Amino acid sequence: MVGNMSIKKYIRLWWLMTSMVSQNAFVSRFGAIIFILGKILRFASFLFFLIILLSRTHALVNYNIWQIIFFYTTFNLVDSFAQFFLREVYRFRTYVISGDFDYILTKPIPTLFRILFGGSDALDIPMLLISIAILVFSIGKIGNITTLGVFLYLSLLINGFIIAFSFHILVISIGILTAEVDNALWLYRDLTAMGRLPIDIYKDPMRFLITFVIPVGIMMTFPAKALFGILSAKLFFLSVIVGLTLLYLSLRLWKFSLKNYTSASS
Amino acid sequence: MKKYFLIAKNTWDEMLTYRVSFFMWRLRTILQLLTIYFLWFSILPQNKSLLGYTQSTMLTYVLGISLIGSIVLSSRSYIVGEEINSGNLLNFLLKPINYFKYWFSKDIGDKSMNIVFSIIELTILFIILKPPFFFQTNLAYISLFFFSVVLSVILYFFFNLLLGFIGFWNPEVWAPRFIFIILLNFFAGAIFPLDILPGKIYLFLKLLPFPYLLYFPLKIYLGKLNFVEIFTGLTISFVWVILIYILVKFIWAKGLKAYTAYGR
Amino acid sequence: MHQKDPGMVGSFKSLILRKYETVKAVDDISFNIDEGELIGFIGPNGAGKTTTLKCLSGLLFPTQGDISVLNFTPYSRTPEFLRQIAFVMGQKNQLWWDLPAIDSLLLNKEIYDISNERFNEVLEDLSRTLDVKGLLKVQVKKMSLGQRMKMELIASLIHTPKVLFLDEPTIGLDVLMQRNLREFIKEYNSRYKSTIILTSHYMADVEELCKRVIIINFGKIIFDGDLSNLIEKYAPYKKISVIFKEYVDPKRLDRLGDISNFEYPRLILNVPNKKVSLIASSILKNFQVDDITIENSQIEDIIEKVYTQKKK
Repeated sequence: MVGNMSIKKYIRLWWLMTSMVSQNAFVSRFGAIIFILGKILRFASFLFFLIILLSRTHALVNYNIWQIIFFYTTFNLVDSFAQFFLREVYRFRTYVISGDFDYILTKPIPTLFRILFGGSDALDIPMLLISIAILVFSIGKIGNITTLGVFLYLSLLINGFIIAFSFHILVISIGILTAEVDNALWLYRDLTAMGRLPIDIYKDPMRFLITFVIPVGIMMTFPAKALFGILSAKLFFLSVIVGLTLLYLSLRLWKFSLKNYTSASS
Repeated sequence: MKKYFLIAKNTWDEMLTYRVSFFMWRLRTILQLLTIYFLWFSILPQNKSLLGYTQSTMLTYVLGISLIGSIVLSSRSYIVGEEINSGNLLNFLLKPINYFKYWFSKDIGDKSMNIVFSIIELTILFIILKPPFFFQTNLAYISLFFFSVVLSVILYFFFNLLLGFIGFWNPEVWAPRFIFIILLNFFAGAIFPLDILPGKIYLFLKLLPFPYLLYFPLKIYLGKLNFVEIFTGLTISFVWVILIYILVKFIWAKGLKAYTAYGR
Repeated sequence: MHQKDPGMVGSFKSLILRKYETVKAVDDISFNIDEGELIGFIGPNGAGKTTTLKCLSGLLFPTQGDISVLNFTPYSRTPEFLRQIAFVMGQKNQLWWDLPAIDSLLLNKEIYDISNERFNEVLEDLSRTLDVKGLLKVQVKKMSLGQRMKMELIASLIHTPKVLFLDEPTIGLDVLMQRNLREFIKEYNSRYKSTIILTSHYMADVEELCKRVIIINFGKIIFDGDLSNLIEKYAPYKKISVIFKEYVDPKRLDRLGDISNFEYPRLILNVPNKKVSLIASSILKNFQVDDITIENSQIEDIIEKVYTQKKK
C-alpha cells in the first residue's frame, strides 16, 4: 500500500474515477432515469406515508411533523451520501470472484481508497440535493434553531458518515475472506433503515442495541436531536468516541483481512 | 408431472446450499418486520385507535403481511430477465418443457422454503414479543383468504415474467424491477394498511392490481370486509390476472420472434 | 423395392429473414441430409451457418420455403420433435450450478421421458467414455472447466437425440479439450448413429469429423460435397517450404512457380501435385538448401479460395 499520496492527488483520482463511472451509468439513459426516479419514489412514498400518519396523530413520540420530516430526511441524506461515495463497495464481490481484486492490489493506488471510493455514481446526486433542500426548508419550519445546534448537527453528520464508512470497511474486510459481501451490505442497509424514524420509537432492549451496539441511533437520530437542542453533551461526546473507535477497529480488521488474503494462496 | 416437481425440489436443494445467504435474507426480513412493528407499536398505544385500527389489529396486520409476503413475494421468476439477457433462454426453447411452468415450479420451491422459515420466525417472535394477534375462526373467511392468496401468487408471477420480458428489447432489466418493488412496497400495503389513506386515493388504488397482492387477502382474513366487498375485490383481482396473462402471452410471442433472430 | 431409410430431409427454398433492414440471412438454400450423416457447415462470420441451424432446430421461422426434420416441421416445436433433437451451443449452461450433476441429469430424464433402464444404460456408457463416472455426485460449481463441459455434453445427449446440432462446439476450449471433444463426437456418431450437424470456424474440426461439408457464404451454398472433392477441386496444390543456406537472388525463384511467401531464408511455394517431385528435385539440385518440406494445402487456404472465388 502506498500511503504517501497528497490529498490533492487523492481528490484528483477520485474525481477521475467518479466521472468515468458516472459516464458509464448514463450510457443507458433509460436505466439511469429509472434508477433516479426509483430512488426519489422510494423517498417520496415513505414521506407521503409519514405525512398521512402525522396528519392524523399530530405527533409521533413527541415530535411534530416537521421534526419527523427532518429526521427522515437526515436519514436519507446520510444514506445517499454514503451510497454516493461508497458505491464501489456494491461491486466488490464481483472483483473478488473474478480475480480483479488481485489486479487492484498490484496497482499503485491505495487499495482501500480504490475499492471504497472508486465508483461513485452520479445517479445518487439528485437524491442528495433534494434531501439538502428539504432539510433547509424544514429547519425554517421548526424554529428555535441555534447556530450551536447547526454546528453540532453538522459535526454529528460527519460522525455519521464516519460510522457508515467504517461499516463499509467492515463489510469488505469480511468480504475478502468469505466473498459474502452483498448480504452483509444489505443487512447494513436494513439496519440503518431502522433509523428512518427517531429511534425513540423502539423499546429497550432493542433501543439500546440499535443506538449503541449497532450505532444506527448515533448515525441517524442524534444529529437532529443535537440540532433541536435535546442531546446531552455526554451523548454528543460519546457519539464521537463511538464513531472514531469504530473507524479504528474497522481499519484494523481491514489490515488483518488483507494480510490474511495476501498470504494465503488463491 | 414429475419434472415440475423435480424442478421445485431442485430449487429447494439449491437454497440449502446457500445456507448463509438464506439466513442473512431471513434476518433482513425479520429486521424489516421489527422496524414496522415497533413503529406501529408506538403510534398506537393500547386503547387508542387510528382509523379503525387498534394496536391489536394493526400488529396483526403487520405480522400477517409478513407471512403473506413470504408466500406471495418469494420468487425466482425475477431471474427471467437475466436469463433472456444471457442468451440461456435458447436452451429452454429446444427442450420439451413449458417455460412458464418451469419458472412457476421454481417459484413454488422458493416459496416453500420461505414459508417454512417465516412460520418458524413468527412463532419465535410470538413467544418473545407476545403481540396481540387476531385468530380468524370463520371458515368462510379462511377459505376465501386462501383463494385470494392463490390469485396473488399467480398475479405476482405474471408480473415477474412481464418485467423479465423487457430483456427481449433492453438489457436494463433491473431498473424497471427496482421501481416495481418500490411501488409494490407502498401500494400493496407492506408498510401500512391502505385504508388509512384518504378516501379518493384509496378508491383509485383499489382499481390497481397492487393491493390484491398483500393487503386484500389479509383484509379478508381479518374479517374486515363484507361479502360484497370480498366478491368485488376477488373479481377485480381475477380480471387483473387475466389481463396480465394476456399481456404476458402476447409479449412472449413478440419477444421470441425478435430474440431468436439475433446471432447469439 | 428398396425402402428408403427413415431419412432426415432438410430443404429450404428461398429464405428471407426480416431484420432491421431486409437482409437475406439465408438466400436460396437447399439440401438433403440422411440419417447418421456427420456434416459440417463452414463459412465466415455472418454467412448464415447459425441461422441455418436455428431454422433446422425450430428456433427460427423461415419466411419462405419448407423445412422437414425427422418428418416434423421444426418451428412448431412439438414435444415429440424436441425429444429427438439436441442443440449444443457454445458455452450456454444447462446444469444447475450448485447441485450435483446427477440432479440435473435426472431432471432431463423426466423432461425427455426416458425410461429408467435406458437412462442408466446411456449414462453408464457416456460417463465411462468421457471418464467422469466418479464426478456425478459432485456439485457442478466444484468442477473444472473440462469436467463441466463433459457433464454438459452428457446432459445434452442423455436422451440420445436422433439429430444433434452443434454450434461452434470447440470454441473457447484449449487444444487438448478440442481434440478430446472431436474424438467423442466421432465416436458418438458411429455408436449411436445420430445425425450430427455442426458449424465451425476451426478447420481441424471439419477435417477430423466431417466427410461431407457444406460451405456457406452470403447466405448461399457455395459447395456441398465430400471434403476430399473440395480439396481436389479447389486446391490440387501442395506447399513446398524451403530454407536456404545462402542468399538467393529472388529473380531465380520466379521460374520455380507460384510463390506464396518469400522472406529469406524461407520460401514457400504452391506447386501443382503433378509437378511436386520435379520442382522439389530442381530446388535441391540448383540451390543450397538447409531444409525442405512438402505439405498438403491447408484447408483454410482452400476455403479462403472458395470464398473469394465465389465472391467475384
